[in-house]
Parts: sequence; structure tokens; C-alpha cells
Amino acid sequence: MRFDPVLAWGSMPALLDGALMTLLVTFTVMAVGGPLGLAVSFARMSRRRPLAWFGAAYVSVCRGAPSLILLYLIYNGLAQLDIVRDGPLWFLFQHAFFCVVIAFSLNHSGYIVEIMRGGMEAVPAGLLEAGASLGLSPRQVLWKIRIPIAIRYGLKAYQNEAMLFMKSTAAVSAVTLTDLTAAANEIFYMTYDPFTPIITAGAIYWVINNAMRIGFGLLERRLNRHLGLA
Amino acid sequence: MELLAFGDTGYGDELFFGALTTIQLAVFGYVLALALGLVFAVLALKGKGPRWWLFRVYASIFTGVPSLLIIFLFYFGGAELVRSLLAPIGINVRLDVSPFTAGVAALGLVYAAYLGDLIRSAIINVPRGQFEACEALSVPRRHMWLSVVLPQAFRIALPGLVNTWIVLLKDTALVSLAGLNDLIANAKVAAGSTKEPFVFFTAALLFFVVIATVTLPLVNRVARRLERGQRRAEV
Amino acid sequence: MEFARLERHPAVAMAGVDKFYGKYQALRAVDLEIQRGEKLVVCGPSGSGKSTLIRCINALEPHDAGTISVNGIALGRDRASILDVRREAGMVFQQFNLFPHMTILENCTFAPRTSLGMARDKADALAMRYLARVHIADQAQKFPAQLSGGQQQRVAIARALCMEPRIMLFDEPTSALDPEMVGEVLRAIEELTADGMTMVCVTHEMGFARRVADRCLFMDQGEIVEAAPAGDFFDRPKSPRLRAFLAQILK
Repeated sequence: MRFDPVLAWGSMPALLDGALMTLLVTFTVMAVGGPLGLAVSFARMSRRRPLAWFGAAYVSVCRGAPSLILLYLIYNGLAQLDIVRDGPLWFLFQHAFFCVVIAFSLNHSGYIVEIMRGGMEAVPAGLLEAGASLGLSPRQVLWKIRIPIAIRYGLKAYQNEAMLFMKSTAAVSAVTLTDLTAAANEIFYMTYDPFTPIITAGAIYWVINNAMRIGFGLLERRLNRHLGLA
Repeated sequence: MELLAFGDTGYGDELFFGALTTIQLAVFGYVLALALGLVFAVLALKGKGPRWWLFRVYASIFTGVPSLLIIFLFYFGGAELVRSLLAPIGINVRLDVSPFTAGVAALGLVYAAYLGDLIRSAIINVPRGQFEACEALSVPRRHMWLSVVLPQAFRIALPGLVNTWIVLLKDTALVSLAGLNDLIANAKVAAGSTKEPFVFFTAALLFFVVIATVTLPLVNRVARRLERGQRRAEV
Repeated sequence: MEFARLERHPAVAMAGVDKFYGKYQALRAVDLEIQRGEKLVVCGPSGSGKSTLIRCINALEPHDAGTISVNGIALGRDRASILDVRREAGMVFQQFNLFPHMTILENCTFAPRTSLGMARDKADALAMRYLARVHIADQAQKFPAQLSGGQQQRVAIARALCMEPRIMLFDEPTSALDPEMVGEVLRAIEELTADGMTMVCVTHEMGFARRVADRCLFMDQGEIVEAAPAGDFFDRPKSPRLRAFLAQILK
């Protein structure tokens, strides 16, 4: 086993291009999946049975399926359906990037629903009663008390999920998108060096992963700065 | 529906054997992760010292990069890796690493890092008094660990263990990208040759969703059996 | 031989024992002799070192200086002497520390079976005998969480007795209990004292101390401040610190 520093240095531009794609996918999915998850979490917690049932099914499917299958299903599978092919959005479904964003957003939002639900349920009932007794409307109690506290409770779980999902985007190479893993793979097939490109790519992932950790740490401290929790 | 039939007319048998491979891969990988994770947890229990630091470095590496990358690393470079690890002790082997072996090794090593942390914190959360009671009663170390500490740690770790199982099961899908003929790979082949991708990918998706959905209530039931009598009976 | 050892030596002998937690000194040059069959009650404010004292006697905490011997066995750092001493002294904890995943009977037979290699039926019979002595034999098949705190603590006493120790150490056995359960546990302990077992009990139950103790010990800041027979201890305390403590606690 050997590591070739010259090859590693030479591969940097291609790998960093790939890393950029990885980051682009990650942040786009966070931006799309976040609000989507929030919306579905309201359905999941709704008192209306069909809505709640839809939310539960959504979570089951989006969280239970590997993102790779969701990706195949959307990228290859939907093209088979006439409604999609004749629909107005067909031109979008032909783009790998668009399909990647949809597939991973479904997956990501499935986790967010459960994180939000856990957070909302963890808010002490006493706080909500206190809000109501002060004359806040149910809507105000929800938006001014329950959701802000639930987000603080859920942040740690969200951090774990976001970091896991960033790493899971490595699967996008399966639909021709050249992310960091795909870039490393291409270099392997050109050089047949099984170690250098993969280890270098791994190092870049490691840096992204830990940058996310630090970023979430800062965000948490900012959100909780007045709570006296370290 | 006849697309999913068994025999020559459909792809049912291909999907079935693919699913078997997927489950086998997941079970082997999980058992490896569990065994290694337990060893890591016990070795790094103290929370300081060189063994703890070694585990932190290991965990940081294996949880800091995608499993897919580790799968590729073992698939492309596994043979050379094993050879260069064994050469210094005088063993010369030539071996081919199959996608299955690479997948088991990669998933096992990656999830050992997660499970090591999980099991370690579960052991730490077993109340100190349980250790002290064993000490005061002169219970031998082996029995203290096997009969008192680990059963209680297992109960504490159970939700995390189940969660990790489901995450690992989903990660097996990635090994198809290294050429393993598992459920996804076979679904993909069937989709390609029939031009009916929607059916096959939906079938593969349902397989994972059903397992994930069934596991949790099943384990909860087992857990409740394990916990018989342990919660104060509500009066 | 065995008898001679017990004849010659006090149940517990401590000389010049120091114990540190980091920089904090929990015991300061403690000298203490406990006679065979003696009932000793230890009291003092929290942080006075009273729990540390009895935890040192069976080596749950290693002592840092001085000597401790139990029934003539010197307590060293080696595992062998620690095990020997623990065979002599049974311990009951403030928080019971029952094994939550084992039945009451299994809790009691676990140590005899694993550490003495006792056969199952023999261990069961032994456990049932001691469970009967603390009046809880009818609960043998239940799990700890199905019992009240007082019942759990009585089980913990039976569990310690199953190793047939010659000395029983009680570390605030009633402090974690609801008030209405204190009585049953103290009664169980009191009944044990009738057959001449040596007992050291850390407690704030002054009525119990008066009834049961041969001698009471007052500790403060890691030192034994006063030791006297129960009557003198409560009615004619000598040191101002003990007077202040009693005034506080009897208020």
C-alpha cells in the first residue's frame, strides 16, 4: 500500500470540483428538504386523520428507503409514467441534478419530520399552559413558544442527520453527477491507484464533515446563548 | 404483475435472490460491527489514555467519510491492503476481494465506530451502584460484566442498536455500485431489459420500507418482554 | 484456627487512616476499633466522612494511608486481601442497588452462586431463609421495581446476608425511603442485631440509635469528634460540635 503525494496534488483540481458539487447538492437539499420536512411535520402532527396518516406514510417511505433507490426511482422510474413525461415539468426530470435534489430532499425531509415531532413533543406542557394563561392565542403559542423551543431541542438530532446525509450524497455518482466520490473514482480508473485518490477524497470529506460540526456548534451556541447552557 | 413472477416469465426469482444477498450482507456487516463495537467500547471505556484516543481517531476517520468511499477503498484496494498488512509477519497471500467481502468489511468497520460509541455510553449509563453492589458481594468480574452490566447496557442501547441496523441495511444499497448482485443491482438489470423501471424500483423500495417499518414494533415488543417487571407496576 | 483468629482480633481495627478525593481530605488520621458483636452507629453532617469510613472498611474506596484490618485480615491493595475482607463484611447501600433485571430470588442467589460456586437448590434455600428473616419471602418471584422502597431495602439486606458475613455495614439505609417505610427497614435491622452480629450503621435515625447502638460515633470534617455509649452521646454530649449537630437534628 502506498500513497502518492504527487498524484494527490495533481488530482486536487478535479477532486475540489467534485467537492463543490457535493456541497452544492448538500446545501440545495438542505434548503429544499428543510421547509418540506417542516410542512410535512405539521401534517404528521395534525389532528385530521388522513393528514396524519399521509405524514406517517411519507416518513415510512422516505426514511425507510435507501436514497439510492429513491434516486433510481425518480431518475429512471418516473420517465416511464406518461403523466410525468407529458407533464409540464418533464424537462426538469431529465436533469440528473434536479432528480438528485428531489430524491435526497424526500429522504432528508423524512428525517426532519421525526426530528421536529420529537422536539415538539419534548416541549414541557407547563410552558404552553403558561403561554396560554398569559393570553397568547393558540397560534402565538405555537409560533412564539413551541416551535422555537422545539428547534433548539431538535438541533443536535438535525446536526447528526445533516452530517450523515452529506456523506450519503456520495451515491449521486450513480446518475452521472460528478461529485467528490465520482471524481475520485474517475482518477482511479485512469491510474489504477486504489489508494491515493480515495484517501485524498476521504480527507476532503473529513474536512467538510468537521466543518459542518463546527458550524452547527456555533449555531447552537448562538441559539442558546441566553439559556445559560454551555 | 407477471413481471414480478418467478421463473422464466418474470424477474421474481432474481429479485428474491438479490434480496437474500442484501439481507446476508446486512446481517454479516451488522454482526461484525457489533462485535468490533463491543470490543472498542470496552477498550475505550475509561475516557482517557491512549486506547481512548486511538478509538477517537478511528471513529473520526470512519464516521467522517462516506461508507461508499470505504466500500470502494476495500473493493479496489482491499487485496493489496491485506497483503501489505500480512507481509511483515511473513504471510504471503494473493486474494481477490469480492464486492460482498468488501461490503461486509466496509459496513462492519464503519458501523463499529458508531456502535462503539453507542455501547460505550450505554455502559457508562449503567448506574455506579450496580458495579459497587457486585464488588461488595465479591461477584467475580466475568459474571459482573456478563450477568449484570452488559444486560443493562444492552437495554439502554437498544433503541440506538435498532436505529443503526436500519441505517446499515439501507447502506447495503451502496455495495451494488461496487458490482454486487444484490436486490438493487438485479432490480436495475430487470428495469433495463424490460423498460419497466418504475415497477422494479418500487418493488425494491417496498422491500426496504417494509423491513424498516416492521423492525421497530417487533423490537419494541421484544424489549417489553425483556423489561418485564422492571418498570414499577402502575397502581 | 478460624475461631482463634476471631477470638484474638477486634472485628474492625483502623489506625491512622487517611482518605483523599483529589486534594479534598475525606478522612483524617482515623483510629477506630470495633469489637465483635458491637453495634456501632455513625452520624454526622453530610460531607463529614461517615460514608467514606464504612466504604473504606470493605474497600469500595481504597484508603490512602494507615491500616485497616477486618477480623484480623489486613486490607491491602491486592485483590486477594480485598476479596477476603469483603467475605467478612456485607454492605447495604442507600440506593439499594438491587439488580433490576433479576428477580428478588435471583438477586439473592447471584453472589453465592457465582462467587462461592454454590449449587442452585442450595442457594435458593439459603436465599429463602434470609428473605423470610426480613419478612419478604412471599415476594421472591417479583422484580425489584414491583416492590416498594422499604421492601427493596429489606431485599438488599437479605442479599448481603446470603454471603453469610460476620459484619454488616449499612450506609444510610433509610435515607432514600419515603418516611412511612423507614420503620419497617429499621425493624428488620434491629432484629438482626439480636443474634450477635457486628454492625456498623451510618444513619440519622436517632431513636434507632438509642435503642440499638452500643456506641455512637460523631464525625465532622473527616475526624471522629466524639464516641460514647448511646445514653451519654445523646444526653450528655461533650463537644460543642456534637451539641450543635444534635440541636439541629432533633429540632
